[in-house]
Order: sequence, then structure tokens, then C-alpha cells
Amino acid sequence: MNAVVAQLTARSLLGRRRVLLLLLLPAVLLLLCGAVRLLAGQDTSVTVGLLGGFALATIVPLLGLIAGAGSIGPEIDDGAIVYLMSKPLSRHSIVRSKLVVAVAVVTLVAAVPTLIAGLLLSGTAEGLAVGYGIGAAVAGVAYCALFILLAILTRNAVVVGLIYVLIWESLVGNFVPGAQVLSIQQWALAITEKVIGSSAPTLGVTSAVSLGAGIVLLTVLVVGCTWFAGSRLRRLRLTGSE
Amino acid sequence: MTTMILDKVSRWFGNVVAVNDVTMSVGPGVTGLLGPNGAGKSTVINMMAGFLAPSAGAVTFDGEPVWRNEEIYRRIGLVPEREAMYDTVTGWQFVLANAKLHRLSDPAAAARKALETVEMTESQDRDIADFSKGMKQRIKIATALVHDPQVLLLDEPFNGMDPRQRIQLMGLLHTMGDEGRTILFSSHILEEVEQIAGNIQVMVAGRHAASGDFRDIRRLMTERPHQYWIRSDNDRALASAIIGDQSASAVELVMDNGTGSGYSATGARDTRAALHVEATDVSRFVRALPQLAARHGIRLYEVSPADESLESVFSYLVTR
Amino acid sequence: MSTPTPSAGVIHDIGYRHYSGERRGRRYIRRSLYADSLRGAYGLGRSARNKITPAILFAVMCLPAAVMVAITAATNGSELVGEYTSYVLNLQMVVLIYVAAQAPALVSRDLRFGVMSLYFSRPLERVDYVVAKYLAMASAVFVLTMAPLTIMFVGALIVGLPISDQVPDYLRAAGGAGLLSLILGGIALVIAGITPRRGLAVAAIIAVLLVLSGVQAVLQGIAQAEGYDGAVYFSLLSPFTLVQGIQSSLLGGSSPLPEPPGVTGALAFLGVAVLLIAVSFAALQWRYRRVAAK
Repeated sequence: MNAVVAQLTARSLLGRRRVLLLLLLPAVLLLLCGAVRLLAGQDTSVTVGLLGGFALATIVPLLGLIAGAGSIGPEIDDGAIVYLMSKPLSRHSIVRSKLVVAVAVVTLVAAVPTLIAGLLLSGTAEGLAVGYGIGAAVAGVAYCALFILLAILTRNAVVVGLIYVLIWESLVGNFVPGAQVLSIQQWALAITEKVIGSSAPTLGVTSAVSLGAGIVLLTVLVVGCTWFAGSRLRRLRLTGSE
Repeated sequence: MTTMILDKVSRWFGNVVAVNDVTMSVGPGVTGLLGPNGAGKSTVINMMAGFLAPSAGAVTFDGEPVWRNEEIYRRIGLVPEREAMYDTVTGWQFVLANAKLHRLSDPAAAARKALETVEMTESQDRDIADFSKGMKQRIKIATALVHDPQVLLLDEPFNGMDPRQRIQLMGLLHTMGDEGRTILFSSHILEEVEQIAGNIQVMVAGRHAASGDFRDIRRLMTERPHQYWIRSDNDRALASAIIGDQSASAVELVMDNGTGSGYSATGARDTRAALHVEATDVSRFVRALPQLAARHGIRLYEVSPADESLESVFSYLVTR
Repeated sequence: MSTPTPSAGVIHDIGYRHYSGERRGRRYIRRSLYADSLRGAYGLGRSARNKITPAILFAVMCLPAAVMVAITAATNGSELVGEYTSYVLNLQMVVLIYVAAQAPALVSRDLRFGVMSLYFSRPLERVDYVVAKYLAMASAVFVLTMAPLTIMFVGALIVGLPISDQVPDYLRAAGGAGLLSLILGGIALVIAGITPRRGLAVAAIIAVLLVLSGVQAVLQGIAQAEGYDGAVYFSLLSPFTLVQGIQSSLLGGSSPLPEPPGVTGALAFLGVAVLLIAVSFAALQWRYRRVAAK
């Protein structure tokens, strides 16, 4: 973890337009939850639907994508990464520093708002807010690691990430239950399920994977992607654009 | 020892061979890497900087391989060709960040010195996004100098520089070369290389075309005969007149084969019906030709040099 | 006068010929730009890497249609297994990703490499550029949405189902697809025109459209559960449900969503749709007026 790399990453990640997008999404989430609370009052099933279906399924992955891919993608695209690469700095260290920044951002704009949204919707009832907040945080870390790797692997990282999140995790996952075993959402949901405790099944918070499997898969994913990203960065080709 | 050695290095991208069996040794002093666009200069510099692995052969610096060797960047500085930098910081912050990334013991002092060397101290507190192209170029050089490297690799450094900046950079490179550092810069402009590089490496179409002292190569180039195509209203008479003059060594009369003039795929005009002249004394020939034509009442329609492009000059070197 | 000294400078004839042929006007340029942009939306005429994403999305879009035809054939059904009028709604994710991925492919390149001034140094007006790009994007989405519907239609005919059953729904869905293409294309291009960075543009488009879709689903769901009368008007929030509403009310198709009530409802929906298209177009005009003036 290198502070200078982290600083440079933070400065370029939080550019004017990206910051707008990064703040817009949690703002919409909170506004929506506020509106729902006004319209429907306190309702745990509504809360579960919103936090699970909108926050965890849409907002968190999107923010993970924007922060993760955005922490290294633009630099690779326009070639500015050469300034990091031409230093006596281990490539793994570069990846780790960027991951830390991306995770910090995602936690701030995805996990914390999910927690607040949960509190808005149902207060502390059933531990839903905390459960989903932690699930969102964990999912955020996983998404960041995955998308940083994707951004190093391909110029189309954002589109590939979208196909994974929207088509694989949501669409395919709905029709082919087996696909849900390979879904970051489900792994995070397993943790949420555990945090909520025994009332989870009655609330409709069920994950397709067990807690143990979820934790293992998450760890493997984060560690694996980070390591693979570092070694791939060593072999990165700094060719022209497009 | 600060010598960068390429040993039978080749690099291909799929079907395209960018660098073809190049062996060269770049030692202390200023070396110019000269070649037309697409000759493979950037690829060679990228390989020397450790950003590209050779598909064949080895690139070593003082015996150490450069590829996947992050420690080597303590001794190598690279000035990349592309313009993009971290736009959101100021010049000072960026150079300082680079100094810190090099783990220097006093990054602020190093950054200050580097900025003074490139004369960017007045503008250092402006955002890089507001810089002109020349200013960005100077910041790039500052980032490459900040850790006082033994080797400096510059990819087309004079691109976009105004004459004053160019002179300044040339002076800087000259000074550093005299200090015993190894400086390699690439360019496709003969005159730039001529002014500061004692040693040049010429690349054409991925091949290593020539190397050595610049003056020797220049002499080789001026000694070669120049070729001209001439069309007139009486080629045969003109041919005999030219041969009678001492400035040409060979004249060939190519008859019109009925298909008119045309250009071959390689750009050589061997299908044209014209007079092909090999002139050994160019300045004399150029002055004599109109006089000869006038004296014999021949009308000249077209006079053009057959091999004036840099490419053909280097090709000539390659085929020699 | 003394004889002119032979000057050292010579102008060589390297074969430059003036173009003396026909010079076509704005319409031709506009048409060419349209055709080129439309082809670019599917990666045609560009490198292989640009073909992958549209190809995958196109395949995913058409796959369920093919499967439906196959099932109908296998079970000898008297009716096609799927619905024309709700196909696009169900597969909205794919359309969303397509439009998010390809709208930047149409406009971000031009902005990023600063070639806009080159475009406008030709007899091409700002409005021509906007119209060409807008129609190209809309056409691209139209192709994407009509392909599976057409597969279903042709498949149904091959399987032997009566054509009179297929045509009305097919045409309704086609109408919906056309309107959707115009709306989505407009929104996507406007957002894509905001930033020359392609990755960010893709993320921004998908974020906006997903958020609209999510907000619509949640609010409508809650409103319906609470028995709120105007729940159907929440469909106005998302382009897919908006078009679905128009399709079911004006064109008479069936829909899993609530139908806009009566004439006022239908007109309200249609009005919003037209407004969206007009505003998108105006926004694009405004965006490129600034760029061209630079």
C-alpha cells in the first residue's frame, strides 16, 4: 500500500463528473427510501425488497463498478499509468493502493447509504439495516477487486462488468438457480442472512449459498483478483489508445 | 558501467513484426535513435524501459534483464511520448509525487531541482490540465530527472516544442551526456539528431539500418548517387547531352511501352517512360540541366528526384 | 535581363489531381454519417474488438425468441409460447446494456479526439450531425428489438401457426419498439455527450436508466399495494414501462403492467414520450452548438 499512489488515484477518481455520478446514486437511494417510508410506512418486507433488490442488487454493484474500474481504467486508457509503472514500485503494491481507495469510496457511497436507507425504512427492526449495510460493504470490496482486475484485462471493463452484474447475476440467476452460486450478491447475502440471525428466512432474506461457502468464495475472489491483477499489471502493454 | 544492450531482439505483435533482429549497444553519451514513423523506435524504447518483453532476444542493462525488474527504475528515467498525465494535480505536486514514488530521501529538494532544471518553477502551482503542450513536455522531463538517473530514455522528446525549448532541452541533454550518463532519444528528424547526438542508431521498418558516428553516416549518404526522372520533348537528345556533361554517371532511356506512365506499388516509378539519370555531383547537375536543355532547344516537362524520402535514403543504407 | 539562374527550389509533380467530379450535398453527408454510425453501433467497419459486445448482446437478445419458437415447435402448440408485446420489457436489461455500451461508441470517439471541428468544416450543419447520430442510435436499438420479434414471427409461420394471429401483436410490438428506440436513443446520446471518457459515459447511462427503472418499479409496487389510484402513472418514470403503457392503451396490446386509463391516460403517456424525444433532441442540439463554437 503506497500513500502516493493512493493520493493520485483518489484525485483522479474523484474528478468532477465521476463524483457527480458517485453521489447521485446513493442520493437517489436515500430519496427513494424516504419516499417509500412516507408512502408505505414501516414494512419489513418492503425494506427487504428495497435493500435486497435495489440497493444490493443495483446500486452497490454499479458503484463498485464505477469506483473499481475508475480507479485504474482511465489511467491505462490514456497512458498516464506509465508514471506509476516507471518507478521501483511493486505492481502488487500499486493494485493494493488502488483497491484501498476504491473500497474506501464504495464503502462511503454504497455501504453507509445502504445502512442509512435501512434505518430510514425500518429503523433498527430485525437488524435489517445493519445486516444489509455489512452485506453491502462486503459486496463492495469484492466488486472493487473484481473490476480492478477487469480494467487491467480489457478496455471494455465497464461493459463486461455490466454484463456480469445485470445479465449474469440478475437475469440468468433468476432463471438458472445454479448460476447464483457464482454471484457476489449471493455471497454477500449469506453474510447479511447471518447478521440478521434467526428471523432471516421469515423475512425473505435467503441466500443461495451457505455462510461458510460465501465467506470462502468472497475471500478467494478478493485475494485472487488482487494478486492476479498485480501480476497482470507487470505485463501490461502500454500501447496507443483504441 | 551504464550500457543498455539489445541482443538479437525481435518483437512482433501477431503478424506484424515491429522490431526485427536488432542488436545494438547504447553506452554513455547522447545517442539518437533515428528512423521514419513506424520504424519501431517506440517499440525499442519501450523494451529498453521494461514495458514490453522482447519476443526473441534479450534486453539487458549492465547485465541485468530489464523486463519485470522494478528495481531498475532507480537508475532509468523515461520520458514517454504520450501526453496524458495526472491532470488534476499541479506541476509541483506531480513532480513531488514522482519523487516520493522513487523513495528519495529528500523528495521536495529533488523535485525543486528538477523543476529548476526544466525552468518550470514559475508555473509549478498551476494545474497540469491548464498546461500547454510544451509545458507538459517539460514536466515529463522533470519527472524523469527527479531521481537523478544514470540512463535517460526519451521518446520523441522534441515533439511540440518551440525553438527555444528545443535549444534548452538539447543543452540539457548535452550536459547530461557529458557527465557520463547514457541518454537515448528518438526522432524522425535528421537535423535534431545531428545537433546533439554523437552516436546514432538508425532504424527502418523494424530493422537496424545503421549505427555509429553521425558524420560517417552523413558522408555515406551524400556520396551516394542521386537519381532523377526527367521527361522532355526529346529524351534521346537530352540523354546524350547529359552524358556529355560530367555531373552524371549514368543515363538510361526508358521507352514508352504504350501503356503510358504509371506508379508501381512500391512507389518506384520504374514503369514511366522517362530519362533516368544518376547524378554524382548533384549541385552541378541541377545547374547544368536547364542550360543543356536550353542550348539544345529541348523542352523540359518534368524533373523530379526519385529517391528523396528519408525512407529511401535509409533503404539505400539497408540494401548496401 | 540576365538569364534566370536555375533556382534551387522545384515543385515536383507527384501526381496530384484536382477533383472535378460531382460534389454531393448535405443530404448525402447526413445519410453517410447515419449509415456509418449505424454500422459502428454493431461494430461493422471497426476492429474485431468493437464487434464483440454488440454481437454478444444481440445473441442474448435473440436467444429466448429462438427458444420460444423451438418449444412451440416441439410441443406442437397452437399458440406461440411467448408474447410479442412483453418481450422487450422482459429483456430490458439487455437493451439497457446495449444502449449504454454503444451510445458512447457513437459519440465519445468524436469528442475525445477533437474531430468535431473537422466534421463542421464540411457542408455539414450541427443539426445534420445530431439528426444523423440520433437516427443511427435509434435505428440500432430498433434492429436489436425487432430481431427477436421477427424471429418469433417467422418462426411461428414456419411452425404453421396462422398468420392472422401473429400480425396484430407483431405490429403492436413493432410500434412499441420504434418508440422505445427513439426515447432510449435520445437519453443515451445526451448522457454520452457529457463526457469524452467512454467508460464513464457507459456507467452514467446505465446508472441513470437503471435508477429510473428501479425507482419506477419500487414506487409503482408500493402505490399499487397501498391501493393508490394513480399508481399507473408511475410507469411514466421509466422508458420501458412508458412505452409499454402506450403500447397497451393506444395500440391495444396486452401487458403485464397496469394500463393507462382512458383517453387522458393514453394521451398523457404519449405526450410524455414525445416530450422526451423532443427534449433529448434539443439537448443534443444545445450540446453540439457549444462544441462547434469552440
